[in-house]
Order: sequence, then structure tokens, then C-alpha cells
Amino acid sequence: MTEAAAMPQATTDAAPAKLEVAGLTSGYGAIDVLNGVSFEIRPAEIFALMGKNGMGKTTLLKTILGLVPARKGEIRLDGRAVTGTGPAALIAGGIGYAPQEQPLFQDLSIRDNLRLAMKSDRHMKDGFERAFGYFPFLAERRQQRAGTLSGGEQKMFILARALMLRPKLLLIDEISEGLQPSVVQRISSVLKQERDEFGTTILLVEQNLDFALGLADHWAVLKRGGIDDAGAMEAATRERILEHLRI
Amino acid sequence: MLILDILTTAAVLFIVSAGLLAIFGVLKIINFAHGAWLTIGAYCAVIVAGLGLNPWLALPLAFLVGGALGGVTEHFIVRPLYQRPLDAILATWGLGIVVGQLITLWFGRDVQFTPGLLSGTVDVFGISYSLYRLFALGAAVVIGLGFAFLLEGTRLGLTAQAVIMNETLAKGLGIDTGKVRLATFVIGTGLTALAGVLLTPLTSVDPTMGVAWLIGAFMLVMVAGSSFGALAVACLVFGGAQVIVSTFVSPILGGITVAVLCALVLRISPKGFARA
Amino acid sequence: MPDANTLAAPALRRPRIIRSYLLIALAVTALVLVVFGPSFLDRFSLNVLTRSMIYALLAITVDLLWGYTGILTFGQAAFFGVGAYASAMVLSHVGGSPALIALSFALAILVPVVLGLLVGWLSFYHGSTPLYATVVSLVVPIVITQIVYSGGTWTGSSSGLVGYWGLPLGLAGFFRLSGLCLVVAAVAACIFVRSDAGKVLIAIRDNDTRCAYLGLNTQKIRILLTAVLAGVAGLAGFLFANASGVVAPENTGFVFGTELVVWTALGGRGTIIGPVLGTIGIDFLSANLSGRLPFLYQLLIGSLFVLMIIFLPNGLAAIATAAFSRFGGRSGDALDNPKLVALDDAERQSAPIGAGDPLLKIEGLKKAYGSQIVLQGIDVEIRAGELVSLVGPNGAGKTTLMRCLSDGREDIDGRISVSGADISGLVPNRIVGLGVGRKFQVASVFDSLTVAECLRMARASLDRPNWFAQSRELALPAPAVEILTLTGLSGLLGQKVSLLSHGQKQALELAMVVALEPRLILLDEPTAGLTKTERTTIGTVLQRLTGDLGLAAILVEHDLEFVRDISSRIVVLHQGKLVLDGSVDEVVNSQTVKEIYSGGGHD
Repeated sequence: MTEAAAMPQATTDAAPAKLEVAGLTSGYGAIDVLNGVSFEIRPAEIFALMGKNGMGKTTLLKTILGLVPARKGEIRLDGRAVTGTGPAALIAGGIGYAPQEQPLFQDLSIRDNLRLAMKSDRHMKDGFERAFGYFPFLAERRQQRAGTLSGGEQKMFILARALMLRPKLLLIDEISEGLQPSVVQRISSVLKQERDEFGTTILLVEQNLDFALGLADHWAVLKRGGIDDAGAMEAATRERILEHLRI
Repeated sequence: MLILDILTTAAVLFIVSAGLLAIFGVLKIINFAHGAWLTIGAYCAVIVAGLGLNPWLALPLAFLVGGALGGVTEHFIVRPLYQRPLDAILATWGLGIVVGQLITLWFGRDVQFTPGLLSGTVDVFGISYSLYRLFALGAAVVIGLGFAFLLEGTRLGLTAQAVIMNETLAKGLGIDTGKVRLATFVIGTGLTALAGVLLTPLTSVDPTMGVAWLIGAFMLVMVAGSSFGALAVACLVFGGAQVIVSTFVSPILGGITVAVLCALVLRISPKGFARA
Repeated sequence: MPDANTLAAPALRRPRIIRSYLLIALAVTALVLVVFGPSFLDRFSLNVLTRSMIYALLAITVDLLWGYTGILTFGQAAFFGVGAYASAMVLSHVGGSPALIALSFALAILVPVVLGLLVGWLSFYHGSTPLYATVVSLVVPIVITQIVYSGGTWTGSSSGLVGYWGLPLGLAGFFRLSGLCLVVAAVAACIFVRSDAGKVLIAIRDNDTRCAYLGLNTQKIRILLTAVLAGVAGLAGFLFANASGVVAPENTGFVFGTELVVWTALGGRGTIIGPVLGTIGIDFLSANLSGRLPFLYQLLIGSLFVLMIIFLPNGLAAIATAAFSRFGGRSGDALDNPKLVALDDAERQSAPIGAGDPLLKIEGLKKAYGSQIVLQGIDVEIRAGELVSLVGPNGAGKTTLMRCLSDGREDIDGRISVSGADISGLVPNRIVGLGVGRKFQVASVFDSLTVAECLRMARASLDRPNWFAQSRELALPAPAVEILTLTGLSGLLGQKVSLLSHGQKQALELAMVVALEPRLILLDEPTAGLTKTERTTIGTVLQRLTGDLGLAAILVEHDLEFVRDISSRIVVLHQGKLVLDGSVDEVVNSQTVKEIYSGGGHD
């Protein structure tokens, strides 16, 4: 793991960051949930954003994707400003998103759920095959309602749906929440393999410390709408993050 | 005879309401200019007749004209009001006034006559019955099946369903919800204009003809929620009640049966037939 | 509290006085015009203006319902028509003696009021939507019209009723009578909407949920308002039936109902005067122009209406008001500050708090949405003086639990009782009556009101609000005054709430909840989005309320440092189950809790 983490750092320092967020402020109604968030992620890096509930992690992902408008600050992809671009254009441009809340259409079939995530029906077959390749159990149940999937299966499905489009930047919102260790393990290895094989950059929003520690190259802690602490993965990281998360 | 009356009345109600339902189902917006679009469709039939063309040509013409005007309306009037549904009712009602006056300026306020699409009667189970009303029954079935296919069988229908179920998620998956809304509004208004053509043999054509149909359609759609199946059931039940009240009590009271029953149903079960 | 007393400076009350003078001047001018109008207007204008003024009376009722209370209604035409038909039917079928005229007058008002109660009952029930009320308001005029059509000789069917003898007034007399009624109604409406009681309507429009959680029965208020305004519409119908000598089915119809809404919108909803002037102007002009350019005029009105709804939803008059307040100094800015008074303990209305029994008792609570179980096996007791924090990861069921505690209509298994009374089936305003106050996660206040008006709304269910004026005093329980003083809101009583910061709104809502004199306060993330200082202030207030004043509080909170600092007890929920209920130390040192917060927390 340390090898994989170090490698992309060394080779891509000169290239622009895959994702750069500078002074980002956004929120709902009268409230600024995020208040001047800044960080950057190098290409092919796995970046874990930690933080307790209500600190603005999900809002940050939604703002990056253009689902929530940015009020101040800038978002850059490969050095290009994309602030204000809508989700449709960003997703077409290679961003994948695995949301946490209400992540699928319960009453539609698994197949239709996947189909909705594709831009058109033209390469439908290829997309299905890729998605089922990650988690073969989906292939057998493709005609069933997505609501019949168990909690863990839903999480795997959401991941497959995002990966099927082969995104260059993947935003993942608390994929490990409420999962059994074995499923967490499986998701972890899929993500690692995806990055190693295709150089996918991954932004993980997490509360599960062990899952994040096992995967990420860099981390940051979000607290009250701003980055409170950040660094590379080291031996002492676990204690340092735990200090932020405990009661 | 009574059964045929119920079926054909339900069919006409269904034809008239389908476009309104399509728009309400996806956009959660009540198009109170619905009556105006029925009128536009009917005047397309008048134009076609005036040019001496085959009256059936009015159907595609009305669909095109209605849809095109619908697209313009969605862009300039409805789009700013998605967050203010009650204001959308008012703005579309105002648009209905404008359309009505424009038609009056153009064609005058007199009743217009159009050549019947189909005339005569046929024998059904030994009763002679208006051919056109039977045709309307067929047309309703075609429209219903058409929508079923559009919703279940096409990508546009699938995305529309996605927008109905969970718009945030649809956006998060990269679906351009703005386009889906525009397309829905265009189809809904196009279909309404087409329904206007189909109404011409049954009612007189004048600039305010649409208003008479608006409330019934509106109430049926409120009860049906966003489901075409529920709309068909609602049309059968309330259309049936209307025919029975008209036949046995009074034709005038029959006219308000649909509205009153729908309001009561909504009071008891606010979601109407959609999730009953 | 003594320092709070010095805050309102009487010298700064000028804008309100200016406004009153302006209203009096307007009313006098209008009266002069009404009295002397017949001496310089021609017959045609008198006729048309009489009608326009009657319509304007209706527009006032539409404005009160729609502009102030947020109920979009097309139904006023029906009440108007019923009033008109009631009097016309008495006059044409029974006779026109003075006694019968009085009877027709009484019926013209009574019948619409009864119908209004019925329509109100149909439209407003717990959980009804604004759209449903609008739907009913559409159906009513249609039904009335059809009944008129099928009424045979009784109603004159489609040709209406003509040729009856009513009030023996000439053209000029009817003009003056209608004008007088209009001026009286307009002045009464203006006084009412500016009074403390009138602000309730705006509060309902702004935030119905908050009103219910302040103990107000909003549905009942709406029903009564509908009935009263139906009576006013009936009065307009009586005037119309007498003045015009003819009633027709169109007078009851839904198209007329929509016209009233159009006029109200174009005049400027929520201003009373705007709809009056709009209605008179448009109706008078259309009568004059309809001969020359009939359709163009309607076209113009229609287009204007559409543009207005899209770009100026609050009407032209809203711009005028905004310009006026900019011109005459910002109307909100501390100028209307009422005097803050603390209620003595003796004046406080809630009974003293007994120590022994638990204030809140939850026994075996289970809550499921369909097959998904959100809460299960919850047993908690809370006594006076306790500050209990409810913590747990996302989806643990905290907010659901709060909802079950404050709304008895939630479908649950188990039993929840407040001071021994089972709350199942009770609507929120009844539970507020039991002494439970709820503060929402997102500050739930009334954006169109001022700070003082919001606080007064919190007292509306306890102290009768003033119907005629805005009180110069704001009497609140001592703890609420203390919150205002601590947070600096006591200096901003005249400020519009929409201009407050997020933290100030949170503090205001807390003060409103405390003003209800609850025994138990439910708080859902009161510190979300607050600064460090604001959080400390809220913490101090909560500790003072529970520790010194003996209230109980349940706090849902993500900020665990905050929880650790102020709680007397902590309850931990995880995946819908109660994991731990103990002291701060027990919870902080618990291994289970650590696991829940650091890992996936799987058992």
C-alpha cells in the first residue's frame, strides 16, 4: 500500500492537481455549511476526508458536483475552473458520484437504475457488463427491484454504478456506513484495484477510520465547515485522527 | 346503452385530462392554461377546415402547434415558477386569458363549425350508437397505451419516472432534468391540443370552450396523482357517476358530479387513487 | 430585566404615527369622494363605480385570505353569489317590506357564513395542503353556479332574477352606501392587519408548523377567517343585489372568482389598499374601454397579470412600500421597539413543577416506516431539572424520536406520557399545551415579522392578542427576557427577522419556545452553524433553564464537546436502539461508544 501511495506522488507533482478546492463556501438557506474549505488531490491519489456528522462532508461533495451552488471560492479540475458547472456536464466530463442518502430508485429494476446513470442507451450492454464485472451477484438480479437489495448489496450496487462509467475522479460518500467488515473489505479491494489499474482519483468521505486508513494516501479532517487538520498517511495518523473524532 | 355511455364519457374525460396529468405528474405544476390548449387544438381543426384540407390533418397540426407553443411557455413562464406552484397556477391561468383573447381577436367570438371527423352510427349489440363516440373510446385506449409505452418503454419515459421519484438523485446521476421537463411540457401540451381536435365533433368551438373542460380535468388529475392507470380508473368511476346522475337525476347536477366527488375523495384520502 | 426596560425610547415611535395619520387622511379623502361623488359624476360612472366598489370590498377579503394568510382562493365569488341570491330570492319571492329587507340582509350574511364554515371545515384539517384548499375553492363556485342553474323559477335559472324591489335608495344612495361600506371595511382591515392579532395571519402564512408548535390551532383560525370573510362577501352580495337590481349565475362563478384574484394581484397583494384601488381602477377602465377595444383590454390585463406573477409576485404596491421605507428611514430599524417587560412569577400561567414524578416517560417505544424499523425498545424517563443529551451517528433515530415526542399522531408502538398524560393521537398544539416546547433544527421563525412580533406570537396562545393595535409592551417570562438580553436580541426587538443572522434566529427561536413557559424543551441541534461564542451563550442559557429554573430539556446534538460540557445525562442511540443511558463520565469512557464513533460500529 505504501508503494502505491508514494508512486503517483513522485511522478505527477508537476502536473496540475486532479481536483483543487480553494476557499469554498456553500450551504442551504441562511446557513453556510462550508466556510472557506481548501485542499487538493493529486491524480491517482486516494484522499480520505474525515469528520463527524453534520460537519459538511456531504455538502462538500454536492458542491463539487454542482448539486449545491458554490457561494464563494473555486473548484478546479485538472487546473481548469469548473465552478458553476452543472452536474450533468461534470458527470459527462468524467466525475463519478456514489451518494449516501437515497442513492437509488427503490421501485425501478437494477437494470433501469444502471441505465439511468448512462448518458444514452447506445453502449448499454458494455456498461452492464462492466458493472456486473465488479459484483457478479448483480447480474443475476438485474430484473429485480433495486429496493430488494440488502443494505450492503445496495452499497456495492452504488459503487458498481459509479465505476461502470470509468470515471477519472470518483466522489464517494460514506460507502462503509453500517456494513459488515467482510463487505467493507471487498469494497476496499475493488477501489484499490480500480486506482491501480486505471489511475482513478478517489475522494472518500468517511467516518469509518479503519476503512479510510487502509485505503487513503492523504487525509483531512473537516470540522465546522473548514479543514481542521490534514496530512499524509503515517504511523501516528490513526491516533491523530481519532483525537478529532472522539467524544 | 348506459354502459356504452359510461365507457365513452370516461374515454372523453381521459383524452381531455391526459395532457394535464403528464405535466402535473412530472413537473408538479398545474397547467391552468390547459383549457386554452384545448381551444388552440380545436381552432387548428377550424383552420384545416377553412383551408379545405382533410379534417384528419388537424390532428398532427394541433400536436405540432400545441407542442411548439408549449415549449415557449415552459421556457418563459413555467420555468421561473417551479418553486412557486400556486403562482404557477395563476400565471398559467393568466396565459389562458391571453390565449383566449388572441383567438377572439383572430377568429371573432362566434361559435365555429367544423366538419365531423366521423359521422353516422353503428350497431353495437343491437343498439345503434354514435360512431364517433366509439372512435373516442378507441382513441382513449390508444393514448393510454401510447403513454404506457412512452413511460415504460423509452429512455425519455424512464428519465421522467426518475425525475418524479427523486429529482435530486436524478441530477446526481447526470440527468439533465431541465430537458426532461421541457420535453414533458411539450408532449403534454401537444397532446392537449390534439385532444382539442378530438373534442370538436362533440362540442361547439368558441374561444372559451376550454374553460368548461378545465375543472373536470383538473379534479381528475388531482385524484389520479401521477399515474395514468389511476387516471383511467378515476375517469371510469367519476365519468360513470356523472352519466348515472345525468340520466337519473338531472343533467345539470351531472355536470358537477365529477368535481364534487373528486373533492370528497381528496378530503378522505389526500393522495387520491394513486396510492389507495 | 431592569436594563431591558430602558431599551424602548418613546420618542422613536414616529413612523407608526405617520402611518396612522396617512391612514386617517386616506379614509377621510375617500369618504369625501364617496359623499360628494354623485354631485359631479354622470349616471354611467356612478353605476359602474358602485359596482367597482362592491367588487373592491370582495378584493379586500381575497387579499386577507391570499395576501396575508397565504390561502389562494377562487371561492369568494361563491359566497358573494350566495349572499346576492339569498337577498334577491327573499325580495322577489316573498316581498320587499322593510322587515323582509332586514330578513334578506340577515340571510345574505348568515347563509354565506354557514357555507364558509362548511368550506373551511372541508379545506382545513390537520395535514391539509394549501393546494387542496385552492381545489375546494374552485369546486365551491362551480357547484353553486350549477345549483343556481338547476333552481328553476326559484333562482331564475340561467336568466337570473330581475325586477324585485329592495332597499329604496336611488343611484346616488347606493353609490354612497357601497362607498361607505368599502371605506369602513378597508379601514377595519388595515387596523386589523397591523394589530397583534392580525399578525397571526402572516405568521400562519410564513410558517404554519411553527404556529402549531407555539400552541396555536391554525386550522381553526383559518376556518373562522374563511367564515367571517364569507360573511363580508355575503354583505357585498346583498349590496350588489340591491344596487343592480339583478343577479345572474355569472355572479357566483369561478371565472368571476379568478377575476377577483387577478385584480388583487395587480393591485398588490398583502396591502389592502392596493387591491381596492386595483379593482376599482381595472373594473372602471374596462367598463369604459370595453366599447372601443374589448378584447385588447382583456389581453393587456392578462399579459400584465402573467408578467406580474412571474416578476413581481408581491405586486406593484410592494415596490411602493419598499421605496417608502427606504425614503422614510428603514421601518424596521429599532424604531418600532416595544418596551420589554418581564412577567412576575405570580403572573406566569403554568403550574409549579412537582419534583417527584417523571415529566416525560417513554415506555417500549417502537417506530417503523413500512418494514424499516427506525426505533425499537426505547425506555427513558426524564425529570424536572435534567438536561439530557441524545447522541448517536447518522440514522440512529434521534430526529424520529423527537418527532414522536412532539406529535402524537405519529404511528408508534409503546407509550409516551408527559406529566402522566398519554400523548398518543394528540396534535402538536395540544402537546404544547401539556408543557412541551420544541425547537427545530433549522431555526423556525417568522421571516416577515419583527423580533417582537415573533415573541408575541409565542404568547398568543396564552395572552389574548390585541385586536386593534400593536401593543407598546412586550411581556415575556423572565427566562425568555434573559435569553434576549444575553444574546443582544433585546436591542433588536423592532428588527425584521429576515435581517437577523443565523445565530440570532436560533436564539430567537429558543426565546420563543421558552416564552411558552414549557416544562420540557426539545432541542434539535441548537448549535448547528453557530460561532463558538454563540454556542457558549446557548449552553449557558440551557444550563440556567434546567439547573436554576427547573425545566427539563432533551438535546439532540452532534457537537460532542458541547454535549460533554452541559449535559446532566447522555442517552446514546445506535441503529434505532438505546445503547447507553448514563452520566457524562460513563458515556465518555464507554468502550461501546468509542467503537460506534470510530469504526462502522457493527455489532
